[in-house]
Amino acid sequence: MKCYSCGGEVSLTDKTCPYCGRSLTETANYRKDKEAYEKRSEKAKGRLAKAVSSNVPIVISAVVMVLLIIGVSVAVYVKENAYHFRGDAMRKEAKNNYIEYSKTIRDYLDAGDYTGFYAFKEYHNIAEFEEPYEDLKLLWDMTRKYALLVSDVEEAVLHGPEARWYRPEDDVANVRRSIDGFYNEYAYKLSEINADSYGAYMHDMKKKADAILKVYLRLDGEKLEEFLNSSMNKKEAYLEEVILHD
Amino acid sequence: MIKKVILAISIVINIVLAVILAINIRGAADKLKFVYVDQDTLDPSSLRMYLDMENYGTAASISRPIRGGAKIEEVDKDYYLLGEYADVLFLKELFEETGNAATIDACDKRLKEIVEELPEYSAIFEKIRWSVDQALGE
Repeated sequence: MKCYSCGGEVSLTDKTCPYCGRSLTETANYRKDKEAYEKRSEKAKGRLAKAVSSNVPIVISAVVMVLLIIGVSVAVYVKENAYHFRGDAMRKEAKNNYIEYSKTIRDYLDAGDYTGFYAFKEYHNIAEFEEPYEDLKLLWDMTRKYALLVSDVEEAVLHGPEARWYRPEDDVANVRRSIDGFYNEYAYKLSEINADSYGAYMHDMKKKADAILKVYLRLDGEKLEEFLNSSMNKKEAYLEEVILHD
Repeated sequence: MIKKVILAISIVINIVLAVILAINIRGAADKLKFVYVDQDTLDPSSLRMYLDMENYGTAASISRPIRGGAKIEEVDKDYYLLGEYADVLFLKELFEETGNAATIDACDKRLKEIVEELPEYSAIFEKIRWSVDQALGE
């Protein structure tokens, strides 16, 4: 605004004109209102600061709560999926150690220890369905059936002198199923086995299965053929006789 | 007053959450440890039960993962070795039938090692041998 006396430019907050020195009464109300607003503003700021400071512990507690909820969620997720994380890590390790693991697998196979191979592959989570172990796929299919056969026969026939044996008929049925499982798989995949680079091992595996049936279940030669071609009931009746001595 | 109540409740909730977090972190760490192949299949309590029941064949198949390299907690080692003994003894008869001489030697060596490692279990070794003989019809 301009000074009424000299026409010089003056501010609303000036008490006197800086050019002529006249007292600026026309801006007195403005200055008074401004002071009042400033005082109210300071009071409001003080109230706000007090309110904020009184809420700080609650805000901190809320932030901590959110962080804890996130932490619990992550921990539960990791816990629930630990098996998969562990499996993935071992599968990656198996890929990185391909040369070393392949040699160990050959050692198991050359020894005819197919259940050892099964245990090794399971423990190291070697993935036969992806590179670089894809060539093991058929061998693995047969090995699973063979390992099941060994386990089921083992579980059915090895009992101590004072054994408590519940539901032996289940064990007999398991042996019958695993024998059928292995021999049917072998017969069904014979042409693939013959063409596979590990075919010789799978034929040897079949010989081992024959030996298990001969040694532990008294099935040999024609008797084995007759057993394999008989009905489910006849097979189980025979196995009950041998395993349970019925 | 209300703020104090809210603060007190939130602190209590935070303490509960902290305890839950600690429990879960410990659980997750335990599960991530590369000790067993799979806790479900290598369960020491099941193995002990089968050994008590003299079901050595089941103990043998439960213990088989250690032949593939699975590491066993020291506290459970004896039980797994007993299971391994039954497994190797069972398989040795098979190799004798098929004529894998080197593998038979390896089986004998391992059987001897296990017996020497667990001299206090001679009675159980005897029962395991008895069970294999019975299975062979001897």
